Amino acid sequence: MNSLIKLELTRALRNRKFLFFSVIYPSVLFLLIAGSADSTTVVDGTGLTLPTYMMVSMASFGALTAVLMGNSERIAKERESGWVRQLRLTTLPGRGYVLAKTASAAVVSLPSIVIVFAVAAAVKDVRLDAWQWLALTGAIWAGSLVFAALGVALGYLTSGDAVRPVTMITYFGLSILGGLWMPTTTFPAWLQDIAKWVPTHAYAALGQAIERNQAPHAQDIVILAVFFALFTGGAAWLYRKDTLKA
Amino acid sequence: MAVMTTTTAPAVGFDRVSKTYGDVRAVDGLTLALHPGETVALLGPNGAGKSTTLDLLLGLKQADSGTVRVFGTAPREAIVAGRVGAMLQSGGLMDEVTVAELVALACALHPKPYKLSEVLSRAGVSQIAGRKVDKLSGGQAQRVRFALATAGDSDLIVLDEPTTGMDVTTRQAFWATMREQADQGRTVLFATHYLEEADAIADRVLVLHRGRLLADGTAAEIKAKAGARRISFDLEGEIDEPALRALPFLTAVDVSGHTVRVQSADADATVHALYGLGLYPRNLEVAGLGLEQAFVALTTAEEAKTK
Repeated sequence: MNSLIKLELTRALRNRKFLFFSVIYPSVLFLLIAGSADSTTVVDGTGLTLPTYMMVSMASFGALTAVLMGNSERIAKERESGWVRQLRLTTLPGRGYVLAKTASAAVVSLPSIVIVFAVAAAVKDVRLDAWQWLALTGAIWAGSLVFAALGVALGYLTSGDAVRPVTMITYFGLSILGGLWMPTTTFPAWLQDIAKWVPTHAYAALGQAIERNQAPHAQDIVILAVFFALFTGGAAWLYRKDTLKA
Repeated sequence: MAVMTTTTAPAVGFDRVSKTYGDVRAVDGLTLALHPGETVALLGPNGAGKSTTLDLLLGLKQADSGTVRVFGTAPREAIVAGRVGAMLQSGGLMDEVTVAELVALACALHPKPYKLSEVLSRAGVSQIAGRKVDKLSGGQAQRVRFALATAGDSDLIVLDEPTTGMDVTTRQAFWATMREQADQGRTVLFATHYLEEADAIADRVLVLHRGRLLADGTAAEIKAKAGARRISFDLEGEIDEPALRALPFLTAVDVSGHTVRVQSADADATVHALYGLGLYPRNLEVAGLGLEQAFVALTTAEEAKTK
């Protein structure tokens, strides 16, 4: 299976468009949003400065892009082209394909997180303790698995022309509703009530809690765990259905 | 006992296997055994159940009833043991990687892999090894699929319409390679709609029709079973068609102008009776049926029976 992971990675690293959107774009967006803010402006109700707040949002957004966009479209396409069938004629275990996809997405998502951190520290003077940087990287990286599972599920749910719009709607919906692009505190109250149940909101909240030197809220962890179970369960179910049909 | 079954088990064994989609019986109580070392062609019109049969054999689909065994084990087990190499008609390729990278993956996944350079040259893709998979022509892609199917030392090679999209020269080169594989003692099973390929390459031909085995034998036996020989001759003057139709052993009669073409299960008896009518046939020819005609005769006879 390592050989497939290696090849998936080679391919991902060769695809400039994908690399730009998942690795560079979140940092660019960070600079656009936080660029003009001074380092003392505090985001309402968070106790964090805008650059600090947006750093976690954009790192989460970058990881989301890498794991969601990379997986769903490719899986849908490769299911259709018959590559998935061809792989089933090799010794690769059934889940190997999905695991290789997820692993290679995780490798691409790591630099997108780290680059946002580096840009935030260098350009906007975001300062945190060493353990906080490490914990942030770990939490955002591990949390991205929830959305990797969603990407796999979408790849098995949709096919052909439908996969891109479905992925895009999910992606933008999650990014905006979860407050990755602008703090949810700027939303009207009714929308804030919805937003706090969105998994990307809980995802970014993990990082923000670390920045505030606090333990993550139990509610956020439960939300992420429930969505993770839901997405992996859904992906597994759809995968099995697809395998029987193939 | 366990050793016995693995050494004497047929390469492929189907025992009363059925597979239904909705109300269509794609495979209907199919029983067959392929023996190690055989080169077998699977023939059948579209919708005969060829692809479903291969999918069942490769474990891509599960039978509704009956058992499928490959070297005495479940298909998936045989694949994991590296005993099966397969080339699917619908087998896609991973894009955005080079031919060499993709074939190297197949080698890495095979328990008994060959050297990459060997696999590439045998499949005739050494020259395009550096090319991206999504930039290949149809024939080149077929050869890459063949490389994937022969990346390691498998005992059974399964090919679904392997020469589709290949030009005549490539096709000949392909079958030459395939024969080498068979000569090394491998079992080769291929589905094809090019009947001349079945005729020239297979030791054994299976004719599938509506999911059932219509004929099983050498190409020569199938031709014989289909109504054997074709007789044609010219007659002068008025042709007495009813009298011709009454000739013994005929399976088909066609009169056009002065030319008469018939098919007979016993050509000697038919010709004898023809002279017995007091006729003087000119340009008399008696020839064996091509496999293609035999195949058409078999399947149309079966169609007529089921209607």
